[in-house]
Amino acid sequence: MGLTWKLALRNILRNKRRTTLTLLLISMTLAILIFTDGYMRAMSDVMVRSATRLYPGDGQIHHVDYLAERDGEKVISDVDGHLQRLQSTEQIASYSPRAMDFAMVSSSANNLAVQLVGIDPQLEAGVSKLESSLVQGEYLSSQGRSQQIMIGRPLAELLEVDLGDRLVVSVNNYEIDSVDQRLFRVSGIFQLNSKFYDEALIFVPLASAQEMMGIGSNVHEIAFNFVDESLSSDESLALWSELSGPQTIAEGWTTLMPDLATMIGLMDYSMLIVATILFVVAILGVINAMFMSIYERTYEFGVVLAIGTRRSSLFVLIMAEGLMLALISLVLGSILGAIAVEITGAVGIDYGNMDISGVALAEVLRPEITIGQFTELPFSVFVMTMVASLYPALHAARIVPAQALHKSL
Amino acid sequence: MKPVIETRELCRFYGAGDTLVKALDDVNIRIDPGEFTAIVGPSGSGKSTLLQQIGGLDIPNHGKVLLKDKPISEMSGKELSDFRRDHIGFIFQAYNLIPVLSAAENCEYIMLLQGIPAAERRERVLSMLAQVGLEGREDRLPGQLSGGQQQRVAVARAMVSQPDIILADEPTANLDSQTGMELLDMMHDLNRNEGMTFVFSTHDPKIMERASRLIYVEDGKVIREETRNG
Ligand SMILES: Nc1ncnc2c1ncn2[C@@H]1O[C@H](COP(=O)(O)OP(=O)(O)O)[C@@H](O)[C@H]1O
Ligand SMILES: [Mg+2]
Repeated sequence: MGLTWKLALRNILRNKRRTTLTLLLISMTLAILIFTDGYMRAMSDVMVRSATRLYPGDGQIHHVDYLAERDGEKVISDVDGHLQRLQSTEQIASYSPRAMDFAMVSSSANNLAVQLVGIDPQLEAGVSKLESSLVQGEYLSSQGRSQQIMIGRPLAELLEVDLGDRLVVSVNNYEIDSVDQRLFRVSGIFQLNSKFYDEALIFVPLASAQEMMGIGSNVHEIAFNFVDESLSSDESLALWSELSGPQTIAEGWTTLMPDLATMIGLMDYSMLIVATILFVVAILGVINAMFMSIYERTYEFGVVLAIGTRRSSLFVLIMAEGLMLALISLVLGSILGAIAVEITGAVGIDYGNMDISGVALAEVLRPEITIGQFTELPFSVFVMTMVASLYPALHAARIVPAQALHKSL
Repeated sequence: MKPVIETRELCRFYGAGDTLVKALDDVNIRIDPGEFTAIVGPSGSGKSTLLQQIGGLDIPNHGKVLLKDKPISEMSGKELSDFRRDHIGFIFQAYNLIPVLSAAENCEYIMLLQGIPAAERRERVLSMLAQVGLEGREDRLPGQLSGGQQQRVAVARAMVSQPDIILADEPTANLDSQTGMELLDMMHDLNRNEGMTFVFSTHDPKIMERASRLIYVEDGKVIREETRNG
């Protein structure tokens, strides 16, 4: 009805300061939600990317029983078939086969337990940051047999070796079922800025590793990256089973790195907590402001009820006032939120390689705009405002005219 | 002649025990069509309570109120609210008007609730505002009108919905005596010319003199009734 809208609009314009503050409260709530959402998304994307693209890859293929005990005998035997499938899948950007097992590395100073990884240097460069993390010497140059070995800087310090120094690597050979030992020379030193990788991984050409392990041309792992990294967290993708063979299974980081998945889940949870706190504060603020406006008008409501206004109409009027506040705030809040996300997105938030629970944030955070920020979030703020209006509206509708008129005179 | 309003053994108590206030105590009055009646009594005597009862704003503890033989004190909720809209006009001491609506819009308000078509609303409002001497001030907000003018708009608003009776609770109490007299004279004119039944309360002797009938209340009881000529 036209009268209700006219009254509602003029009523909210009556106390401009209170209305402005209420509008600010609601629109800031929305703007903060939008920004927090954009920020959290960027944060989790960077965290995931920092973790997966450092070394593990978006996804990995293993023998179905390999990961349970990292048993070196559980190999991927049809390597070519798997690589061909990866090659012909459009969504896959890169892949790298790896032969790996527990090993001992010895220098003249020290013996240490590590993981020996045999890689195809070129393919590996497409999946992990190994090549770009080189700090000394050269990246592995061939995948055939050679004496080249790359180790992390902390490991080099523990072993007290430098470029060109000798290292002896011992690993189990499954063919002859005894230990195979070989001599390597440190050809490159890398620093992935992850304590675990830098101290525990040593890289040699794929063929050297395969020969030492006695696994022919088989490998233990094929790591791969998607073109669109966001696919990697989608466990329902048909691709996972398409890439798997009869004896192998392809899995994404959400299964391979459950700790990271938990942490990302925790971030969603923090978003929920932030939202809840904001909502409680905003609801109380809106209720308070609307109650003040109703208390001031108690006598007026007594009069309009006396002259024949139905209680339901009064209820509808207050809800209409809430609705107008909500609608104006949604527009305002969406604009403010979009501006905040756009600006920080353009400038970027730099944490300078800060470490969050072992994952170094390797990139500048750029908060992202999504459709949900301008549909779901405004909708929930709208619902919140209407819920907050409910109580004052019910209160107004319950005013007893005889009392309202008596008290105020 | 059928009375417009009749009360029977009307009682309204507030509080309980030691603090019990008998705001109305066995009140039996009758208002006939065309009356211009004053309810007179000191402050706290029960005038407002009586007007609220006969206007269906409140429910009695005992007794009943009949409007044209209908027991309004037995209605409830929406029924009563619609009944007030269609049959009773109210004027209070002050702040009668919705501050965000113009004089004309305030007058239109009840007719809007009644669902009267726009053209008729407009016509009734303009002619009534002219009758109460507010021609040319139709679009002013209440805040842009003097106290006397606001009360005139309140009278006009009560008149346009064409109720059976207009109840005015100390309509002149917030006005200076000159303006108060003018308002009352205007109400009296409407009573004589349009035949509208008015019941108003006052404790001002000068205002009482204008009434054609006086009902004296004290401590919630009617102590005397008086009819005058002229
Ligand atoms: N809503 C109410 N609650 C409690 N007491 C009331 C209420 N309305 C009136 N009273 C009491 O009833 C008595 C009559 O009040 P009222 O009808 O307002 O008198 P008047 O209008 O003649 O000044 C007073 O004692 C007043 O305090
Ligand atoms: Mg009174």
